Parts: sequence; structure tokens; C-alpha cells
Amino acid sequence: MKLVIGNKNYSSWSFRPWIAMKALGIPFEEILIPFGSPVGNPDFKTQVGRYSPAGLVPVLVDGDIHVWETLAIFEYLSEKFPEKQLWPADPRARAEARVIASEMHAGFLPLRTECPVNFRRPMRTRELSAAAQANVARFEAIWNGCRARYGGPFLFGKFCAADAMYAPGVARLRTYGIKVGPETLAYMEAMMALPAWDEWRAAALKETWIVAEDEVDWPTVLTA
Amino acid sequence: MALKLIIGNKNYSSWSMRPWIGLKVAGIPFDEEVISLYDESAKAKILAHSPAGKVPILIDGDVRVWESLAILEYAAEKFSGFGFWPADPAARAHARAISTEMHAGFVPLRSECGMNFWRPPGKRALSADAQANIARVQEIWTQARATYGAGGPFLFGKFSAADAMYAPIVSRFETYAIDVSAPVKAYMQAMIALPAWAEWRHAALRETWVIPKFEYDWPEVKRLPPEAA
Repeated sequence: MKLVIGNKNYSSWSFRPWIAMKALGIPFEEILIPFGSPVGNPDFKTQVGRYSPAGLVPVLVDGDIHVWETLAIFEYLSEKFPEKQLWPADPRARAEARVIASEMHAGFLPLRTECPVNFRRPMRTRELSAAAQANVARFEAIWNGCRARYGGPFLFGKFCAADAMYAPGVARLRTYGIKVGPETLAYMEAMMALPAWDEWRAAALKETWIVAEDEVDWPTVLTA
Repeated sequence: MALKLIIGNKNYSSWSMRPWIGLKVAGIPFDEEVISLYDESAKAKILAHSPAGKVPILIDGDVRVWESLAILEYAAEKFSGFGFWPADPAARAHARAISTEMHAGFVPLRSECGMNFWRPPGKRALSADAQANIARVQEIWTQARATYGAGGPFLFGKFSAADAMYAPIVSRFETYAIDVSAPVKAYMQAMIALPAWAEWRHAALRETWVIPKFEYDWPEVKRLPPEAA
């Protein structure tokens, strides 16, 4: 299997299936296609178009099956590797995991816009709009509610696809120094203690491509 | 205990239509509760069922599932006999990919062509982004029909969760008189011919709640008479 991804420093969507497959021990070959803007890869669209008609990363390639969209990739992996338990085994927990994964998939736009994933950026506190603050509060409610009910350290006990969906959220809260409660911090620490987290982050820090839209101080680019 | 689906206005709530039409076409009995969105008590009524504060919500005993895709996955597991997703793994992966693409995408189209069953059909000026969305939707439908659609008139032959996800787009294309190719038109006609479609539309045209932010000509409300259903 191959996973086609964008820049590790910026691509929150790519991070999700990548960290899930790494954390759950599903082997894959990675194909990284850097984004175009403004000093990156002018051929991004053409190169991704070879793998996905939607022109988006990530894409999972398994023989002649091409799966795009992160949630669809998780459902595919869940069926192909049932023993890896991409979703919790208990039907009720599984329903809840899919709910919060879908909520992440289509939501939290203010936070995503104001706090782009940018591993290279040094930790700096950033003022958030009321809408983004409400997103943070909803993150905390989801994470802490799940961990309280299922015992932690991850949302449903052991790491699953729902955690992978929120992994970039953890990176955002950390990079932009967002104030959170101790329970939330404990979840973030569990996530950041994953060897897969370190592996992704180390690779992200070595990248030199810059995406202007994700640099909140553009044209200044802060790097750690 | 019967399933219960909490939905918003049938005239406007595209997210509500997705699991509703999916469950209806699958022949799964359920009770429904309609909450008119954006009225004074709506937020409290919805929050009583879901902390995300959004419709639709499926209630199955003490399990509460919100987000249309999660509801469809839940129904697919619970009522595996219907085949909410195509049986073939490649087709199923494709169905989930295009369903997810719908779940988070096509924002310009969704905001410029809001679902509004009672609005008399007519064109609107659309942005280039919305037009690109329309082209992509047509490409998705045409490709799925050509690759997987041999067994019936829907995207994967027989009706699936992917059709449920795109049902509101069919309504938008109709309402805003979008120019479409012949295969796309045929697909839309198959969707519109569903008894479940007629049932939803019938109820939508009889609703009395008007939501100003979804009426492009506000304070004028252009609407078909209920008899049009």
C-alpha cells in the first residue's frame, strides 16, 4: 500500500491517516508531493491528479483501488485490517468515535483557519476569535468527555482513528500556545508521546517548502 | 424501541434529508421529530439531544448518533441486510470517498444554492468556485454511474448511502436550474422518482416556517404552492 501525502509541516489532512497507520502498525510506502505555494511545487495538481480525481491529498493506493478523503481511508483500512481496530470494538463506542471523527472532518473551520498546522513555527501565543475559542472549548469537551468515559489515555482507551482525526488539533493547540485545562493537556501529552508523532515532526522540521497561506505572519516566516 | 430521527426543516435542512432519505429507501421504520432551525427554542431542543448542537441526530435507545455520515455508517452496521454501502470492496471504498467529499466539500455551491424545495426553479448568477463545484459533482456522478452503475439507475446501481449524501444536491440542481449533461439528468430523475423523495418534498412544501437567511430574495419569499408537490 502507498499513502500519498502533502508537506509534513503543513498538511493536517495527510497527518491523520499517516499517524494512524504508523501508530497501529500498518506498513505502507509514503509518496510525498509538496504543495505549490508560493515557492514549492508548481506541478502539485498534476502529480496528485495521477492518484486522485478530486486533486486532494491524502490518497491511499492499494493495488488498483485509490481511496481519497481521510474518513474513507479509515473505513477502508478498518475493513482491510479488522485486527488493527481502527474503530473501537464496542458498537456504541464505535458510533461515538465515528460521530466525533465526522465532526472533525467537516467542522472547526475558525480554529483551522486561525491556527494552521505548522510544526516548524516556534510556540507563540495567538489571540483567537470568539468562534475559534468556541472550537477549542468543543475540542476540550469532546476529548475530556471521551477520556472520562472510556478511561484514557486516548479517546476510547487505546489509540484509534478518532485520535488520528484530532492529532492535528493537538499540534494546533500546542503551536499557538492555546490555554487549555490539565485534562486536555494530559491528552495532548499522550498524543505527543507517540513515536509516530516524533517521526512526523522530525521530518516536518527538515522541510524547507513554504506555504504562504499557512504562515500567519506572512511574509515573515518564523522557524524554530 | 423504534429509532428516532431528529431533523431540521424539510424545506431547508439538507443535512437532515441525507439520513432521512437513506433510512426511508432502506425501509427502516423510524419516528421523526422536526425542529425548526434558528427559532428561539431550537438551540435548546437540539442541545438536549446532542452536545454538538446540530441536526440530524439518530436516537437508538440510549445511543445518540449525529453527523450524517456517522448516522449512515451506524445504520449500515445495524441494518446490514439492506446494503447501505456497495458490496464490492472497490465500489464501497469509492462510495465512501465521494460521500466524504460531499460531507466536507462544495461549500461555495452549498452557500450560493441553498436547498429550498419551495423556491420556484430559476437560474442564479454563480461564482466560478460554485461552477467548479458543479463540474466536480457532475464528474463524480458520471464516473460512478459509468464505472459501477450497471445494476440500476443510482451511483452504484442500487440506491446506496452515497446517493443519500448527494440527494440534496439533486434538489439544488433542480431549484437553481443548473445545466447538466444527459447522464446527470437521468441520475437526477431516478432520485426524484423515489417515493421517499416525493414524501419529503410534499412535507417540505407544506411547512410554514420561513428562515430569512435561506431566502435569497428576502423579504420576499418566492414559493411554490403546496399543491405543486
